[in-house]
Amino acid sequence: MALPVVLYFLVFKYLPMYGAVIAFKEYTVGKGIWGSEWVGLQHFQDFFQSYYFWRVLKNTLILSFYQLLFGFPAPILLALLLNELRHEIFKRTVQTVSYIPHFISLVVICGMVVDFSSRDGLFNSIITFFGGESSALLSEPGNFRTIYTASSIWQELGFSTIIYLAALSGINPELYDASKVDGASRIRRVWHITLPGIIPMIVILLILRIGGLMEIGFEKVILLYNPNVYDTADVISTFVYRKGISESAEFSYTTAVGLFQSLVNFILLIGANRLSKAVSDNKLF
Amino acid sequence: MKSSWRRRLLMSASLMLAVGGLAGCSGGADGNKNTEGAAADEPTPISIWASLNTNVSITLKNMSEITAIKEWEKKTNIKTEFQHPAVGAETEQFNVMLASNKLPDVMFVYGDYSKLFTDGSIIKLNDLIDQYAPNLKKILDENPEVAKQLKADNGDIYAIPHLRLGKYKTFGGMFIRQDWLDELKLPQPETIAEWETVLKAFKENKGVTAPLLYGAPPKLTTMGPAAANFLEAYGITNTIFLKDGMVAFGPVEPEFKEFLTTFHRWYQEGLIDPDFATNDQKTFDAKILSGQAGAFFTYIGGGIGRYLPALQEKEPEANLTAVQFPVVNKGDEPMFTGRSWEWSGAGATITKSNKHPEETVKALDYFFSEEGHMLKNFGVEGVTYTMKDGYPTYTDEILKNPDGLSVVQAMAKHFIANYPFVGEDDDRYNEQYYQFQQQKDAVTLFSKYSDNTLKVGLPPVSLTTEESSEYSKIMSDITTYRDEMFIKFVIGAEPLENFDKFTAQINKFNVKRAIEIQQAAVDRYNAR
Repeated sequence: MALPVVLYFLVFKYLPMYGAVIAFKEYTVGKGIWGSEWVGLQHFQDFFQSYYFWRVLKNTLILSFYQLLFGFPAPILLALLLNELRHEIFKRTVQTVSYIPHFISLVVICGMVVDFSSRDGLFNSIITFFGGESSALLSEPGNFRTIYTASSIWQELGFSTIIYLAALSGINPELYDASKVDGASRIRRVWHITLPGIIPMIVILLILRIGGLMEIGFEKVILLYNPNVYDTADVISTFVYRKGISESAEFSYTTAVGLFQSLVNFILLIGANRLSKAVSDNKLF
Repeated sequence: MKSSWRRRLLMSASLMLAVGGLAGCSGGADGNKNTEGAAADEPTPISIWASLNTNVSITLKNMSEITAIKEWEKKTNIKTEFQHPAVGAETEQFNVMLASNKLPDVMFVYGDYSKLFTDGSIIKLNDLIDQYAPNLKKILDENPEVAKQLKADNGDIYAIPHLRLGKYKTFGGMFIRQDWLDELKLPQPETIAEWETVLKAFKENKGVTAPLLYGAPPKLTTMGPAAANFLEAYGITNTIFLKDGMVAFGPVEPEFKEFLTTFHRWYQEGLIDPDFATNDQKTFDAKILSGQAGAFFTYIGGGIGRYLPALQEKEPEANLTAVQFPVVNKGDEPMFTGRSWEWSGAGATITKSNKHPEETVKALDYFFSEEGHMLKNFGVEGVTYTMKDGYPTYTDEILKNPDGLSVVQAMAKHFIANYPFVGEDDDRYNEQYYQFQQQKDAVTLFSKYSDNTLKVGLPPVSLTTEESSEYSKIMSDITTYRDEMFIKFVIGAEPLENFDKFTAQINKFNVKRAIEIQQAAVDRYNAR
C-alpha cells in the first residue's frame, strides 16, 4: 500500500534531484546534462564572489528572521487571548474573520497589498488623513520588510492559531480548578498552566519553521517587489529566478545558487533539532 | 473497503506519471532526419512557437485564426499549430522550453541565434534556403548589405528573417501636448534646455503632476531602449554603442553624469513623473488620458493611434504631436533615432526536432513571393484591401471596422503587418496604417535623421558561444546594477558625487572585457 507514496517521492522528489548535477557543470542544452563539461565548484565560487552575494543572503536572512520574530509568536498570542474569551459568539467571530485571508490566493493578496500601497491607495489615504504625505510605499526600500512581514502575519495569523487552540483544548481542566483553589490570578494561570501546556507544540512548529528559514516565500517577494527595492527585497530565490529564466538563462549558475540555499536550510534544520533536544527534550526526529 | 477504488486510481495515476516522465526524458533527440514526410495532399503539420501580439489577443486566441495564416496554410499545404507563451512571461517560458529540450518545429525569436545553433537547438539554413527558398534567396542576392546582416561571421544563416527594406525604419519617439504648447505660446523644444523650459511651464501653468512621463513599455521601470531619448541627446546610450567607430559602454562615459545631473534636477523640481520607476502600462496610459502627462515616449502606430482618439474624446481640443529627438546644443543633429536595421533581428528558426525542414522552409519562403508579400501586408484581396490604380487600399473592414476595432487591431485580426513576422514590410502599409495627420507628420520627423544612427548603433553582430556566455554573465550583473543606480541617482537616494564609485563598480564587473568581446564581433562583422 505504500507504493503510491514511494512512487510519488521517487518521481517528484528524487528524480528531479538528478538535474542538480548541472550545478557542477557548464550546462548547454545541446550537449544535455551528461554531455556537458564538468567545472567543479566554479559556479559556487562565482556566486560567493558575486557583488550580489551578501545582499541576497542578508535579505533572505533578515526577511526570514522578521517572519520568525514577529510572525511566529503572533498566533500563539492570539490563541492565548482567544482562550481567555468567555463570550462564545464574539470568540467565533474573531476567529473566523482572522482566518479568512488564509483562503485567499497569494496572488490576490499581493494584488491587494500593491493596490493598498499605491499613491492613491488605502494606506496613503490613512497617512494623509493623519496629516502625512502620500508616496508610492512599495517603491521605497525602507518599507519593503515591514509591508512584507505585516501582510504575512495578516494572512496567516488566524489559520496558524487553530493548531494552538487545538493544543489548548487538550489541557486538563482540573489544573485550572486546582489553581483557582490555590488563588492563582488569571495571568498566573496563563503563565504556569496554559503556556507550558502548549510548549511541545510550539517547539515542534519552531523547528519546522527554522528548516524552511531560507526558503523565504519566493512568490510573494516576486509579486511585491520592483527594481527600486531590490536593495531590501531581493532574496536568493528571486535572484535565482531572474538569473535563471527571467532575464538571462544561466542554468548552471542558478542551480548552484539554489543548491547552496538548500544546504544552508539543511544545516539550520539539523542544528535546530539538536539544540531543542539538548535544552528541552522536545525533538522532531 | 469503501475507498479502495480511489487507491487503485491513485496508484495507476502515479504509475502513468512515472512511465510518462521516463518516456518524456527519452524523446526530443531524433535529430533532423527527413522522414518520409507527409503524403502529397496531406498538409504538413508545423508547430510554431511565437509570442502572441497583444493586438491579436484582443480578437483571437491563437495566430492560426488569423485570416492570412489560414490562407497561407491553404497555399502552401501546411497545417500550423501555434504555441503561445503567456503574455509577460515570454522570456521565462522560452528559457524553460529550451532547458527542457522539448522544441516545436519553428521558433520565432529575436537575438542570440548562434548560441541556439551551437547549443544544438536550431539548424543551419544555408542549403535549405538555396534549394527551397528561391524568393528569399533572390532578395539576399540583390541586397548584399542585408545578407551581411543576416549571416553569421562564418556565413551561416539561422533564421528566415523579418526584413524592413522600405524607407520607414523609425517607429517611435517623443510626443508632446501641442495644445498646451500653443496655449503657452512656446515653440517645440529642441535642446535639453528648451525642454526644461517647456516642462517647467507645463508644471507651473498647467499644474500637471507628470510634465515628462518617463519610461517606456514594456519595461517601464528601467531605461528600455525606447526611453533613453534624453540620455541619447548627450551622444551616448545606456548600453553598448559605437563611439567614433569603436565600441563603448554608455554609463561609464562622463556624459552619463551630465545626464544624471539634469535628470536629478528635473526630478527634484517635479518635472519628471514622480512614479517613473513604478509605472506599469495601466498607470502609464491613465496618466496620458487624464491629462497629467505633458510629454512621453510612445510608438506612432500602436501608441498615438490609441491615445489620440481616446484623449480627444474627453478633451476635444487636446492634441499630441511628435517632437524631434532632443539634443544638447542648438543645431546639433540627433544621432540616436531608434532606427532599426533592415534585418530587425527577428526571424523564424527551424529546430532540430523539425521532421519536415524542407516543407517548412518552402512554406516560410512563400511570404517573400509577390503573392505572399501581399497576403502578409494587406490580407486577402476583396476582403481587407482592393487594388486602386495599382495601389493596395485597405477596405472599411480595416479602416472603419464594423465591430469597432481600431486600425491596428483590425489589421492584427486579418494579417501580420504591424509586428515582426517572417517576410518583408511594405511602405504602402505604413502610409495607410498612420491615419491621423499627427502620425504622418511623426513619420517624416522621426525619419529625418535616422541614417545618423547607423554610425553609432551596433550592427547585428554575432558572438561565439563562449563569448556570448561570458558576455551575458558580465552584462547581466551590470544591467541590474545600472538600472538600480540610475533610479537612485535620479531620485537622490545616491548622491551624484558617488558617480565615480558607480563607474568603478562597473569596471569591477569587468565592462572592459564586455567591450572587448563586442569590439571583436564588430571587427568580424565589418570583415564579412
